[in-house]
Amino acid sequence: MERVCLPYLRDAQNEDGGWGFQHGSQSRVEPTAWALLALSESADDAAARATALGLQYLLRAQLTDGSWPAAEGQEKGCWVTSLACLTLISQPQFRERLARGIRWLIDERPGEARRWFRFLRRLSGARRTLAQNDYYYGWSWTAGTASWVEPTAMALIVLRNSPAVLLPAQVQRRIQLAEAMLYDRMSPGGGWNCGNPLVYGVPGEPQVCQTSWALLALRDHPDRPEVQKSLDWLETSWRRIESPGTLALAHIGLNLLGRSRPDVRTALCSFYEKNEILWNIPAVSSTILAMSEKHKWLNRSDSRMKS
Amino acid sequence: MPRAAPSLLPPYARPCSRVAIRRATSYQADLEALLYETLREFDLPVREKTVLLKANLVGLDSRCVTNTHPAVIAAAREAFLRLGAAEVLIGDGPSMDRDSQAVVESIRLREYAGPLSRTFVDLNVDDVERVVLKTHASRLKELYLPKTVRGVDFLVSMPKLKTHHWAGVTLSLKNMFGIVPGGCYGWPKNVLHWAGIDNSILDINAAARPDFAIVDGIIGMEGNGPIQGDPTPCGVLVLGDDPVAVDSTCARVMGLLPERIKHIARAATLLGHMQPEKISQLGESIESTKTPFAVLKEFNALRQPRIAE
Repeated sequence: MERVCLPYLRDAQNEDGGWGFQHGSQSRVEPTAWALLALSESADDAAARATALGLQYLLRAQLTDGSWPAAEGQEKGCWVTSLACLTLISQPQFRERLARGIRWLIDERPGEARRWFRFLRRLSGARRTLAQNDYYYGWSWTAGTASWVEPTAMALIVLRNSPAVLLPAQVQRRIQLAEAMLYDRMSPGGGWNCGNPLVYGVPGEPQVCQTSWALLALRDHPDRPEVQKSLDWLETSWRRIESPGTLALAHIGLNLLGRSRPDVRTALCSFYEKNEILWNIPAVSSTILAMSEKHKWLNRSDSRMKS
Repeated sequence: MPRAAPSLLPPYARPCSRVAIRRATSYQADLEALLYETLREFDLPVREKTVLLKANLVGLDSRCVTNTHPAVIAAAREAFLRLGAAEVLIGDGPSMDRDSQAVVESIRLREYAGPLSRTFVDLNVDDVERVVLKTHASRLKELYLPKTVRGVDFLVSMPKLKTHHWAGVTLSLKNMFGIVPGGCYGWPKNVLHWAGIDNSILDINAAARPDFAIVDGIIGMEGNGPIQGDPTPCGVLVLGDDPVAVDSTCARVMGLLPERIKHIARAATLLGHMQPEKISQLGESIESTKTPFAVLKEFNALRQPRIAE
């Protein structure tokens, strides 16, 4: 990690302070947030300088409504708002920016939250195609579209970890609906795919990334049978993972829910030693986060302050 | 140099299109020779150009039944290089899984096409540029599209021959959903579903019309495609210089009526030919390769009527 991943991350920072998805590409909010989360695990001066520049990029990219766009020039915010907020939780000097991001997240409702939409779906018979409860909703990838597992999980993690003073009273209702949505969208045998557990009655295959995100969002319910079943599924899928980004995320999910894999370091290193990977900032960053074992970025703000 | 803006022409102003059907019964066949010989017949302007093969990599696929088979992708790459292309890139933006490396590893693309670090472009996370849509078929006014797609000289759509539970079929036109970057729109690219799948297909293809299409129909997918359907041996590769003509031909091979497949019928008003008399047929005939595909009951109306014995 020290020889390969951290230097790659530092070299890939653009002059504007942000990171692109790959070395030399346009700065974007998502890879910048990932890089900042990864650098937060490092205590050296170079990391501190890179973090300061990166945070400035992130603050410049925030839209006036508090959200963040996926690409420069886009006028509407989207799921990357959760990742940006996750980064700012550990930065008390930017509390007001974080508060605006959280407000946007709470106000942002997916398309199926609208009553007329649910009415039309009932009329159209679409509920027979996709077996899901439309009364539960979470967060969408882009404004006004449907809830999906990953953006819902990311938003839940932000709301779980943010300082309580920044959360309005109605947040509990959003959290309950979103958690219910995740349980509703779980695949019948455990685990999650992007959010369609059954299409035309056929079970969708769960995927490691989405399962890991959902488990991280539901980690306060470790004893729920759905969580245990999904952890079992993730453990059995471990050997089939063929990329460092997914492996790192799976490790973080298993580790935080008490099913750590001692062989993760070897497995991750072998990907980078073979150098047969498609380098990208989120994958490298999640590798750093997986190897650090501290997982500060997933701690509640209050507990972080105490530590 | 950005790609020239695609020409939107009504059928009466468009010259005839050419489509070739080639028999290939297995992925172990000499596909490179087959594709090279066929592509030569088209006399394509690819010498010293950059070509992008836009494969259909939907998601993880260890059985290799949902994604374009790596043997076909690798053979096409070699064939274009033999035709004198300066560079042949392989790209897609998988819609169901954000980890593109996991997707390409699941189909063993590296074993067929060699090291991918310089040849594979993850279109989900490529640099993007804002493109104002011209056709306004959907309610989308603009899309952020990958610079690689906009910048290459020659764009090839390389789908798998499949049915699709929302669009009826997914062929070279629907395959272009994959150029819409997940890094801007998520996984899946749900904004396209909300804007209307059929109309979004038209808007995307009008913004980045493929110059050529190669459809992997050696083993297709019928029923509840594009992921949960059943593998169906069809034994063909379908190639052509017009994505609408290629998709219309493929639909006929699948025993379906292209006139009833909304996105093909709409694309035929601006982007290419659907009518058989406007398609110059090379290689095998449609009749000799016809393999009726099962469809979900919602799409029964797409099926060609059976002729009484």
